[in-house]
Amino acid sequence: MDKRVGAPDSEQLAPTPARALLAAAGLATLLVLLVVFYYPVWTVFENAVLRDGYGVFDALADPLAAVTPDVLLGVLSDPFFLGAAHTLFEAPLRVPGDAAAWTVELLATARPAVVSRPPFVVLVHDAGNVDFGLFGFTAYQAVLSTVLSVLVGLPGAWVLARFEFPGRRTLKSLTILPFVLPSIMVVAGFVATFGTFGTVNNVLAALGLGRVEMLYTLELVLVAHAFYNAPLVTRMVGTAWENVNANAVETARSLGAGRLRSFTDVVLPQLLPALAASALLTFIFTFMTFPIVLGLGGLRLATVEVWLYASVNQLDYETAAALGTLETAFSLFFMYVYLRYEARRASSGTGKPLPRERLFSADTLHDWLRRAGVAAYGVVVLVVFVLPLVSMVLASVGGVSDPTLEWWRLLVERQGSRTEPSVAVRNSLLFGLGALAVALPMGVVVAAFSTRGGRFRKLGDTVLMAPIAVSGVVVGFGLLQGLVFGVDIGPYRVSVVGPAVVVLAHAVAGYPFVVRNVAPMLGNIDSRLVEAARSLGADRARALWDVELPLVWPGVVAGAAFAFAISIGEFDSTIILAGESTYTMPVALKRFLVDRTAGPSIGPAAAMGTVLLVVTALSFVVIDYVGGRYRP
Amino acid sequence: MKRRTYLKTGGAAAIAGLAGCLNVTDSNDGTTTDDTTEGTTGGTTTGTTSEPDEPLTVATYDSFFGDDGTAGNWLKQAWEAEHDTKIEFTAPSNGVNEFISRKKQGAGIDADLFVGLNTGELVRVDEQLPNARLFDTPDGLANANRIKDGLQIDPERRALPYDTGYISLVYDSTEIEEPQTFDDLTTPAYEGALLAENAQTSDPGRAFLLWTIHEMGPENYLDYWQDLADNDVRILDDWQPAYNAFMNRERPMVVSYSTDQVYYHGEDELPRHQIGFLNDQGYANPEAMARFADTNQPETAAAFMDFVLTDEAQANIAVNNVQFPATTTADLPDEYDQYAHEPPEPVTFTYEELAGNLDGWINEWARQIASS
Repeated sequence: MDKRVGAPDSEQLAPTPARALLAAAGLATLLVLLVVFYYPVWTVFENAVLRDGYGVFDALADPLAAVTPDVLLGVLSDPFFLGAAHTLFEAPLRVPGDAAAWTVELLATARPAVVSRPPFVVLVHDAGNVDFGLFGFTAYQAVLSTVLSVLVGLPGAWVLARFEFPGRRTLKSLTILPFVLPSIMVVAGFVATFGTFGTVNNVLAALGLGRVEMLYTLELVLVAHAFYNAPLVTRMVGTAWENVNANAVETARSLGAGRLRSFTDVVLPQLLPALAASALLTFIFTFMTFPIVLGLGGLRLATVEVWLYASVNQLDYETAAALGTLETAFSLFFMYVYLRYEARRASSGTGKPLPRERLFSADTLHDWLRRAGVAAYGVVVLVVFVLPLVSMVLASVGGVSDPTLEWWRLLVERQGSRTEPSVAVRNSLLFGLGALAVALPMGVVVAAFSTRGGRFRKLGDTVLMAPIAVSGVVVGFGLLQGLVFGVDIGPYRVSVVGPAVVVLAHAVAGYPFVVRNVAPMLGNIDSRLVEAARSLGADRARALWDVELPLVWPGVVAGAAFAFAISIGEFDSTIILAGESTYTMPVALKRFLVDRTAGPSIGPAAAMGTVLLVVTALSFVVIDYVGGRYRP
Repeated sequence: MKRRTYLKTGGAAAIAGLAGCLNVTDSNDGTTTDDTTEGTTGGTTTGTTSEPDEPLTVATYDSFFGDDGTAGNWLKQAWEAEHDTKIEFTAPSNGVNEFISRKKQGAGIDADLFVGLNTGELVRVDEQLPNARLFDTPDGLANANRIKDGLQIDPERRALPYDTGYISLVYDSTEIEEPQTFDDLTTPAYEGALLAENAQTSDPGRAFLLWTIHEMGPENYLDYWQDLADNDVRILDDWQPAYNAFMNRERPMVVSYSTDQVYYHGEDELPRHQIGFLNDQGYANPEAMARFADTNQPETAAAFMDFVLTDEAQANIAVNNVQFPATTTADLPDEYDQYAHEPPEPVTFTYEELAGNLDGWINEWARQIASS
């Protein structure tokens, strides 16, 4: 299934086999999705919509008997989950009256003040006496997280796309590093950085400014979400920015447009699709946030996913399924709206890119101001990204005050025991490469499918994006009961497990990133180019391979980096499918975390986390280097 | 006992080639284990039984085994020195829940013994599987009568405790005074001082919640927690982040274990690692083992359980697991004894008291905390 679309070695592909190849790749993609995603996830979701004892075939045969709305309604009409909106489902007739009272209440009690609470400026924090419920709070923090991630990520895209400086390419490769980090290490890094006796507070204290309690606030949770997701914005928008056609900008300037005007009229429209896509992904991810909220905010700031996990833990499958279904429906709705109106104006790698300024040379005041802005942004990056990462590395040597190599020695001694670091590194890389080899063709095929067509295509496209809209807890549990436990087929019980399945599961989790990076660019390709190729005798597959793919290659490389990162960081499905001896780096990290022979210290896990960091950093640099060198 | 039978037809091989590892087993075979060969390859039989000569598969939690210095590895070495049967550990990521789900769905259990069961989990097993037997009661264990009465978690004696921990507070005496009672925690002196864990997902967190219910009563515990919440208690997802925050001096008090000083008893460390037994109590959280009813090696499994309860095994498990023995006769090394503190009055809920209540108590609590 990881066949390249349109084999390059056969110069004269007959139209029919080539089309068959494309169709086969599409079918293989669907088969993989069906086995390692749709079916397992369905085994969880069916608890929310089907009566006990009814399966999917009963539902098709006799929907009235099999399908029940009771479970979903149970959650929807519970004020704990939906807040004031639960009346919609509990007693619809009361809604107009309630809504009126609600509005009065909101106007009377909400304080839409911008409250300053050092070091944060708190936006509308107090919604008065109106209760938004668990879903309301989850959406609220996701919106704020998205705004913050865009604010933090966008300048990064600007710096990387518009300035030239030593190490720029490497820095760009490293932007998605936060993506692979296990949340437990991020939480530990944030405590060491933003805690009362953390680095930031130590600096504040040294400056005579006094310590500030930042931990366990919503604000810090938002910063941690930006840590994970701002790189997404930087990477996706940065790629689009680098592909803005300089000719268009020059034309605009020559026609009398100022800097600002040429930016808003020419550049911005080309960035918007990437910006919207990355913001959407950020929203979906932070809507399903889980360990970060509890680790840095506490149960007070619980989200839907926290409840979902707890429900699975208590084997309350109905509540878990209902929450998961609603969460996914919510995410997919936004996905559909986005896809429906996705502006097909993203630039592809045609024409020449904008020239980059050299960062370390400035002449005019304007130049100096811009560089001051870059420097200020550098401070933000230092505090939000570098310090937590450095803190984690420092934790692996026992910190600055009491340095020790004990945890590294322990890591070395683990060679030859149950969890060998080198085996974890090898497995992670193998899974990552395997997932990449599967996710790239899958992503390109789906992107080619989604670029053309109307409303129903978009619906199909939305469903194909589902792997990022379903909570990791649901996928993990679905894989366990759907694939590991197996199904009865005749007299046999068939279960699907093992390393190859892990690769497929990782590929399924990663390929949406390929699609979302490639599809906007593919949509922007001048269709006359493809038509010209077709009229010269190229079939659809060859046109895709020879004409379109080279034009969208930057998007493919960006998607590849994400797919690889997703695979390296993946935990839920790996631990369920891989079995005892095929552990990856995050699984090894988790084992070292609970390893009591080393005491309660996070040192051994931090050492493993450092290995994870270094290995993935190198991998990203290699992927970008190879991807930049090699264009089909 | 039927063994796992593999289909080796062309069709199955083709699917396997596609999907990696595709296991096809006989559906009626509820007692499969991990071996893949048909028939045994000779060798000696174990003990007095005619049970299959295959490893005993012990399902447990992640930190129980793996390296030298873990309780599991000690048990494996000591057992294998005396017996022909090997021990194999596995750590399913969902713990005992995985076996409940397997039983519900008719999937094979694939293990002989479960190690690391607490009272709440046993209650859940019985509530989830009212008509199926996941565990059974082993007969004739010579050492079972040494188990302390107060630690027994199972009226039917399927699950037998092999060690216990006591949940207590660990506090930094350079920052705060020792809190004496539960009510102390709601006073201004301890405002913003306590770190606890989510009872939905964390063992010590659940034990602490149960302790407050034990003291305040099921009618009043939510009010008490409202007072705690008003006094700015923080509830994190698990023990590790909470303890890590405590170590970073984020807060001076954390819900943890009474054996804390085993790790931290240096002269400069002790003041920062004091044990607080509220009301002179600690909440006992016994860990138990139980034999799967579907095992095809019931006698070997029972023999292993008996082995775990010997004095030598008890002492080693306790020290390696940083817990206390479950039996009355085990003797701990002096140095360990000095730093592992037992509460003057251990308290805990019995199986009967938890049955029918546990999930409700936890859900009510979590809803209140999340809404506050």
